[in-house]
Amino acid sequence: MSYRADPDLLLEIQKYGAADIAACFNCGNCTAVCPLSTEDETFPRRVIRLAQLGVWKELLGSKELWTCYYCGECTATCPREADPGEFMAAARRYAIASYDRLGLAKVLYTSPVLSVIFLVLLAALTALFMYTSHGSMPTDSLRLFEFIPAHVIHDLGIAGFVIVALAGILGAVNMAIQVGRANGLSRDGVRHNWLGALWETIAVEVLGQTRYRQECETEEERPSWYLQKWFIHASMMWGFLGLFAATGLDWILDIVGVKATGTWVPIWYPVRLLGTVAGLFLLYGTSVAIVRRLRKADEPSTHSFLSDWLFLVLLWISTVSGFALEIAIYLPQAPVWGYWMLLFHVAVVADLLLLAPFTKFAHAFYRTVALYVQALKPVPAAELAAAASAD
Amino acid sequence: MSDNRLDVDTLVVGGGIAGMQASLDLADQGYQVALVERDPSIGGKMIGLSKVFPTLDCCSCITTPKMAAVAHHDNIPLLTYSEVESVASNKNGFVAQVLRKPRYVQEEDCTGCRSCELVCPIDLPDDENEFGRTSHRVIYVPFTTAVPQTALIDLDHCIYCGKCIKACPPDAIDFTQQPEHLEIEAKTIVLATGYEVTPYDAKKEYGAGKLGNVIDALMMERLLAPTGPYGRVLRPSDGKQPDSIAYVQCAGSRDLTLGVSYCSRVCCMYAIKQAMLLSGALPMADITIYYMDIRTFGKGYEQFYQNAKTMGIEFVKGKVARITEDENQNPVVRVELIDENSRVAERTHDLVVLSVGMLPGWNPQATFGVPVAEAGFIQIPDCNVSPTVTTQPGIYATGTAAGPMDIVDTIMTAGAAAAEAAAYMQNHKEQEPAVPEAAPAMRDKRSTVHA
Repeated sequence: MSYRADPDLLLEIQKYGAADIAACFNCGNCTAVCPLSTEDETFPRRVIRLAQLGVWKELLGSKELWTCYYCGECTATCPREADPGEFMAAARRYAIASYDRLGLAKVLYTSPVLSVIFLVLLAALTALFMYTSHGSMPTDSLRLFEFIPAHVIHDLGIAGFVIVALAGILGAVNMAIQVGRANGLSRDGVRHNWLGALWETIAVEVLGQTRYRQECETEEERPSWYLQKWFIHASMMWGFLGLFAATGLDWILDIVGVKATGTWVPIWYPVRLLGTVAGLFLLYGTSVAIVRRLRKADEPSTHSFLSDWLFLVLLWISTVSGFALEIAIYLPQAPVWGYWMLLFHVAVVADLLLLAPFTKFAHAFYRTVALYVQALKPVPAAELAAAASAD
Repeated sequence: MSDNRLDVDTLVVGGGIAGMQASLDLADQGYQVALVERDPSIGGKMIGLSKVFPTLDCCSCITTPKMAAVAHHDNIPLLTYSEVESVASNKNGFVAQVLRKPRYVQEEDCTGCRSCELVCPIDLPDDENEFGRTSHRVIYVPFTTAVPQTALIDLDHCIYCGKCIKACPPDAIDFTQQPEHLEIEAKTIVLATGYEVTPYDAKKEYGAGKLGNVIDALMMERLLAPTGPYGRVLRPSDGKQPDSIAYVQCAGSRDLTLGVSYCSRVCCMYAIKQAMLLSGALPMADITIYYMDIRTFGKGYEQFYQNAKTMGIEFVKGKVARITEDENQNPVVRVELIDENSRVAERTHDLVVLSVGMLPGWNPQATFGVPVAEAGFIQIPDCNVSPTVTTQPGIYATGTAAGPMDIVDTIMTAGAAAAEAAAYMQNHKEQEPAVPEAAPAMRDKRSTVHA
């Protein structure tokens, strides 16, 4: 087996954060202190070592990069203050940029000026595109889709979704191949346990946040449940998925003819209620996360990279503008700003969704893939060969 | 010369191996040396150790003769249980104000017969020498081989029953003793103030001192020493003889979370030495040393390490991240087994020894005007060329006061400091008034030794 090493890999990763990792002398404290490290899952030292050696293929193929939830315990106890936790985060940013073959992620991660310009332009273009087909702004009640026809937003959304899905799938497949190869994942290995592993990944780990919840709260005195790291993360994720589901259901109701999009419904109407509750979760999660980053409340909130801020702030603005829109709908007198708020809201959401594969949002795909590979419990290639020869 | 004034050539501060060696090297050349020691006995850390590496010679057998030589030397007035409070410069050198703490026992009269200890009704834990593992009386001679063999009274715990007064054959006990002040004029000063170890409760990941069977290496030295508290190796929580002992290396060195960035130089070697001694004391015990790097830099040291491996001592690469304990108070270490495919393991032992590092013992800046370097050890501006010369002309540093070092290097720098001090005094001879006739030996009055 041969390795290809890039002597500048560490410098490359440092563009994505993690300034101090060269100080690491590989004592293994980080791995041993990590609550998620086990007999066969060991990080962060090994991942750091891969980066120090410059073997980028092995680094990008390491599922351990993604099974870390960044509790910060390794950083707090590192004898070299080399900040292994932040290194893992930086290596994930580097990985997102590397899995993306278009090169857009790299620009968005490493150039603050370009990424802000890009985001503003994309939002402006989206808003302009919608505005070209605008209609009237009735003031007796807020009828948003007389201002911007529903089909324009729908078509835009579907087009965006296709682009995102294609780019996301491309990156995830790219990553899955690398991680699968590096971890000795065989076709037989996948067939053996694909359904159980899927349940383990989606239900237990992603939606249930089980290991994050049980293992990664490392403070001596656990904070109240609503301030624990996993819950803040889960509120954002559940909130986002809830809103995504509400949007999808609304569309389905339109297709099956139960309720046309844009029909006024009371707040307790199930789909509207789902969206509202999910929005509250998202608002809570993003607000607390932003405050924690501003206050540098714990290790993981101490280093905030541009991508961390963009992701959080876009989520927060989307949520707040969404609620503003909802308030406008239920006001007795329809305000004109409601129509502009629609343009603004859709433009920000477009930023968030269209750029998902190229920003921190992409962790949602990549982490899931890594967790799936982990749940499949791949047998190392050497053992497979040994078993085959034994047969 | 009055009772509270002393004129000498060199003032040596600290009566450990460094200070004793420097004093002897100067005194043997005919210089008058005042040796000031804070504790009631000289001997320092070394007198408490078991064996020295890499020869496994007995520590007491090296230290005790030096202690006796210091005490009996005509040119060394020995001032134990004393502290230098302030130092001023004058045209001849330095004038030091020294506080002589009261022992409540007349030094010149006490014969060290220990009759007082037999009658004293109060026992106190021996925290100074045995980490509280044994006890001594309220009136006590510090330890068996203490120099001088003079008792002292811990007045805070005394009940003034008066039994010792009746029992003392030479009538040496004096409850009216007061602190005394002594002025020492010296041409040069040698600082040999030594080190302290990283507190073994400093790291919360290692149980912050709350785990019953986690001790530090100095405690293990006492367990291994022939003069130790139990005379054999037992673990503290239940007195069980440990069958599995682990060493955690760098438990206070090369660890920025403790503010210690440097390597303490001695811990690898003393851990290997203790492991070898344990193999002799407990032939059936498994001994493991968890390490980041093994640093065996001195003459014969690498061979010592190789011998230990051959003897069956297990060396495991990986820094211990956490120590917890199971329901039987057995310590459990969590470590990445770097050489075993990086798997993380939790391994249970009977006793864990923290290889604690060396910290500066004392900051001489305020008293001597000698600055310390970044880590807190005395600053040596040109350490490659003159490793004992401080920033202050006439003041020299030796041993671990200047930085972490082992006993071999300590004795070497003690000789070097003595040579530097002697050379300085030779060079400055002409400018000084005639040296007063041989100063009356202070020890006649205060430091009589009855060994």
